Amino acid sequence: MQIQDLPYPHPGVPDARSGPRFLWWLFRNQLGGQLKALAWGLLHFASVSALPFCVGIAVQAVVDRSGARLALAGALLAVCCAGNALGDTFLHRAAITNWITAAARVQQLLARKAALLGSALTRRVAAGEVVAVSTGDVEKIGWFVEAVSRFTAAALTIVLVCVGLLVYQPALGVVVIIGLPVLALAVLPLLPRATRRADVQREKAGRATELASDTVAGLRVLRGIGGEQLFLDRYRRASQEVRHAAVRSARMWSLISAIQVLLPGLLLIAVVWHGVHLARDGRIGVGELVTVYSSVMILTYPLRHFEEIAMAYSFSRPSAKRAARVLSLERATDTGGSRAAGTLPSGDLHDPDTGLLATAGRLTAVVCGDPDAAGRLAERLGGHPSEKGTPVTLGGVPLDELPLDCARTAVLVQDKDPVLLSGTLRELLDVPASGAVEPSEALAAARCEDVLAALAQGSVGAEDPMDARITERGRSLSGGQRQRLALARSLVADPEVLVLDEPTSAVDSHTEARIAEGVRGLRDGRTTVVFTSSPLLLDRAERVVFLHEGRAAAVGTHRELVRADPRYRAVVTRETDEEADARTAGADGAGWDAAGSDVAGVETVGVETVGAGRGRALNIDRRHGGPESDRREDGRRESDRREDGRLTDDRLADDDVLHQLEEIEETA
Amino acid sequence: MIGVAPPSYDPAAPTTASTLPVGTSATVRGYVTELLRRHRRAFLLLVTVNTVAVVASMAGPYLLGGLVERVSDDARELRLGVTVSLFVGALVLQALFIRQVRLRGAVLGERMLADLREDFLVRAVGLPPGVLERAGTGDLLSRITTDIDRLGNAMREAVPQLAIGAVWVVLLLGGLVVTAPPLAPAVLLAVPLLVIGCRWYFRRAPAAYRSEAAGYAAVAAALAETVDAGRTVEAHRLGDRRIGLSERRIKEWTAWERYTLWLRSVLFPVINVTHVTVLASVLMIGGVFVLQGWIGVGQLTTAALIAQMLVDPVGLILRWYDELQVAQVSLARLVGVREIEPETGDAELTPAGRDVRADRVHFGYIEGVDVLRKVSLDVAPGTRLALVGPSGAGKSTLGRLLAGIYAPRDGRITLGDAELSRMPAERVRSHVALVNQEHHVFVGSVRDNLRLARGGATDAELWAALGAVDADGWARALDEGLDTEVGSGGFGLTPAQAQQIALARLVLADPHTLVLDEATSLLDPRAARHLERSLARVLDGRTVIAIAHRLHTAHDADVIAVVEDGRISELGSHDELVAAGGAYAALWRSWHG
Repeated sequence: MQIQDLPYPHPGVPDARSGPRFLWWLFRNQLGGQLKALAWGLLHFASVSALPFCVGIAVQAVVDRSGARLALAGALLAVCCAGNALGDTFLHRAAITNWITAAARVQQLLARKAALLGSALTRRVAAGEVVAVSTGDVEKIGWFVEAVSRFTAAALTIVLVCVGLLVYQPALGVVVIIGLPVLALAVLPLLPRATRRADVQREKAGRATELASDTVAGLRVLRGIGGEQLFLDRYRRASQEVRHAAVRSARMWSLISAIQVLLPGLLLIAVVWHGVHLARDGRIGVGELVTVYSSVMILTYPLRHFEEIAMAYSFSRPSAKRAARVLSLERATDTGGSRAAGTLPSGDLHDPDTGLLATAGRLTAVVCGDPDAAGRLAERLGGHPSEKGTPVTLGGVPLDELPLDCARTAVLVQDKDPVLLSGTLRELLDVPASGAVEPSEALAAARCEDVLAALAQGSVGAEDPMDARITERGRSLSGGQRQRLALARSLVADPEVLVLDEPTSAVDSHTEARIAEGVRGLRDGRTTVVFTSSPLLLDRAERVVFLHEGRAAAVGTHRELVRADPRYRAVVTRETDEEADARTAGADGAGWDAAGSDVAGVETVGVETVGAGRGRALNIDRRHGGPESDRREDGRRESDRREDGRLTDDRLADDDVLHQLEEIEETA
Repeated sequence: MIGVAPPSYDPAAPTTASTLPVGTSATVRGYVTELLRRHRRAFLLLVTVNTVAVVASMAGPYLLGGLVERVSDDARELRLGVTVSLFVGALVLQALFIRQVRLRGAVLGERMLADLREDFLVRAVGLPPGVLERAGTGDLLSRITTDIDRLGNAMREAVPQLAIGAVWVVLLLGGLVVTAPPLAPAVLLAVPLLVIGCRWYFRRAPAAYRSEAAGYAAVAAALAETVDAGRTVEAHRLGDRRIGLSERRIKEWTAWERYTLWLRSVLFPVINVTHVTVLASVLMIGGVFVLQGWIGVGQLTTAALIAQMLVDPVGLILRWYDELQVAQVSLARLVGVREIEPETGDAELTPAGRDVRADRVHFGYIEGVDVLRKVSLDVAPGTRLALVGPSGAGKSTLGRLLAGIYAPRDGRITLGDAELSRMPAERVRSHVALVNQEHHVFVGSVRDNLRLARGGATDAELWAALGAVDADGWARALDEGLDTEVGSGGFGLTPAQAQQIALARLVLADPHTLVLDEATSLLDPRAARHLERSLARVLDGRTVIAIAHRLHTAHDADVIAVVEDGRISELGSHDELVAAGGAYAALWRSWHG
């Protein structure tokens, strides 16, 4: 596998039974690359180790006054030079290629796993693990897998050099062979402690970074209300702790460095001591002494690989274990479905548990006092929920029996906290869709005009707001803007059934009213279920279902229910308890706000409790928008009129809505 | 393979407009000089211990050279005992000082790094609120995470290691000159190759590594987003697209890996050839000199061994040099914050009274586009004013102007006849506080989160504040009460609870004028209204300007201002406005059924 051919067309099926098995699987899958690295590594280390021999030959040649042998040494050096340059460069290329391909393979496996697990990942532990593997563990895994061949090459070289020394100069070679294992192993006992200290340092550094980014993220709050000094002091403490931990960790590493100087040095001295005696007795030449001396100097280089492989393994073992665990995660429920993926069902959406029925082709609003219960119900309406229960049916077909993908195609559930994926606005709205709704229509229906303007302003070189970039989770936008974009995305998808859970909770009333019209117009003839407690949305729903204690307790229009059901009224008109009390206290005028009931020119219809309490709770405004002639005066009047028209005339025909949508598109 | 062109897509290219300045080279130089001056003692100490270590390291080759000389001359007295003792002594000295070099390097690096990150945060928290509102915190955040991280490597390793490497090279060359003066020029033979190769490499490397790192971060970011958006991805059937995106990111990242690999494929042979050339030229030229009788064989040995030792420091310098270049860019971004003038304001200016007044105010974020036009408003002390109107009409902007965060382009905003925008931020906030939709919970205990508003508050006061925002119920249920760790990594508060914390801070700070920008938007509507009422009791007598998207807030206010298209179109009490039958009345009816 070459780097330019990445990503893998198929990253394969990993052996994720355990960490070591996973490492072995990765290694096995790049055997060719490993052999290549081994071969180049041998050339590299051999060339490096041959340098001392050249030096020895040169010195001996000079001692022997032989110009020819000196030239020979020069020629040998040139060969070593070429071998070293080639070996080093291509070892590096092979090793990095192994590293990158292993890392890319793991990343691809993770991406596939994440996409497969989908909503099952929202359990926080699992989600954090996947991200941790991707950001930290992949590198360590790649490092170890790659280092194996480099280590093998280094180890083989050391053996070769030792054998060479034994043959070349047995008397000195023995000293070196006895000394080398000590050098290789001496610092290993210190490594665990050093890496532990390094871990402590990393952890503290992470904590300091977290505090700093936390302070910066909340800086507007701090600047608005004070407390900067408190946070600065806290950060200073954390920062100094990092410093101390780092110096503590450096103490350990510096000890290791000192040992790495001391031990080879002692071996060198032993070699010199022994060698000079031998040379004195004429048993070895001066050149040979120099050769052995510089061999020992240079052998410390391949020896370092013993430490590296030990560290790489100790770092990568927990990483591999975590990766294996993440890659073996499965969904708790069966997603295959027992029915074949044929034509999608259509018809009424029915939940036997609560008795909720959403009529096909209608806009049904659901009011549920408990937001969490609403969330769970919304999830169940899409089929394949995380908790098993009686399955919801669409046109009589239980959704759980459909394959997951089919169920999601038929019913789109937009949860309370839909995530905006980063990318351009065009990419955001490019979701699997029926094709019947244009992005511009959806954006208009969700009233995203000011979002478009804000996006275009914050982007570099984006003339068209569709090319403007949305940052991660849409953090640069306000809560209401995010909700409207998410709604537009769901509208573009145009599913058979659309379930919206509190889609406009962060949107202001003016805009919410307009969105209600937009959604109703765009979803005309399609099944839509909206969980909400906002009267502005409820008033525009064709049917309202009121859930009380987990059952559909009342069904009707918003107006009917407000009139007929005090529990419903309490939920949707946001009465505080005291107001409810005031109402039940009767129409004796004891309420503290009686002014509302005498609004001039308002025809009140069927008001239950006129007077003291919330007398003006129920009225229908007959006033219409400005006269037709005002329509085209200017932009400002236009928007005023539009507002009046839309907000006051609650019987606005769908034709009118469409007409106004067109107008908005024109003016936009 | 002849070469690899840099990939056309650069993941490090900015996508959002950076509004905070990046330091000029003069600012960066000035800061570095200051930093070095602050730590000059640590720096000198590092250079000193390093010098001792390197000099001691040259004892081995020197002593061996002497021995070789004497052995080859068949000298009678080898003085082996003395030599070996000296050798051992030098070795122990070297080991001790190498330890110190590593340690002193870390001490210096860590001190500079700690200074740098603390300096940055000090500057950041001193930024004028207006600058923060305009720039957002994203850019600052990336500076304090990514840029500090990059500088961490540079300060912790690159600066000390480069200092060590430079001293090392100079001393080794010095040793060469001392032991075998005629051989010193031989080392220079390899220099041109090294210089040409390194220039080629370093011209391309820093930017390429930046892109490579950004590319790798993008791979992880794409996955993190898929995971984070698990529900959305499944609901919209985006799984295959997410896999496709991850693979595209992998392709972009590996393209940069391939390019940097090519850069190193050029650099590595250059360095390797340089090393061997140095060694070979010393040996060959030196050998000829020995044969000619100009130098001794011992000198040759010492010189060859020293030449061999040059590998390490040269490698060190090359290894860390590009890190330093990358660090320079990050440093410029960090010290750029220093170029923003802190708005000191007029310390003499003190408000007389609590009247908030806006007088024909014009304001816009962009030159020539006014968001607010000729807005005049008079808020008497103790009034509860609600600002309502459609999104983008300018409500929040007006709120920020009234809280003194922005200065109007034209007209005046005054508190007790003193102009808010000319007062120091610290003074403004002792009078006026703004709570917006941003409901940040700081990492730390609940107590820390509240105390930032009033440093010396007692637990009883904290509980009272929590009670005022209906939060004492859940707060008392926390396992460790006020000591419960919250914020990222701690106990996860819901957005609604976070908003209550923000409001409890406000109760503690107790300014006489408050601007609440959708401060209860995240609570469930009934709870929101209940909270607002209990808050109103606590804040009785304070001036409250509430930007509302729920009409019950407006209904409960004394005065309502309807903001439309940058102007105040209606102003009056709820009943007056409903009676007037304008836009507000229409909305109210529609909302209230």
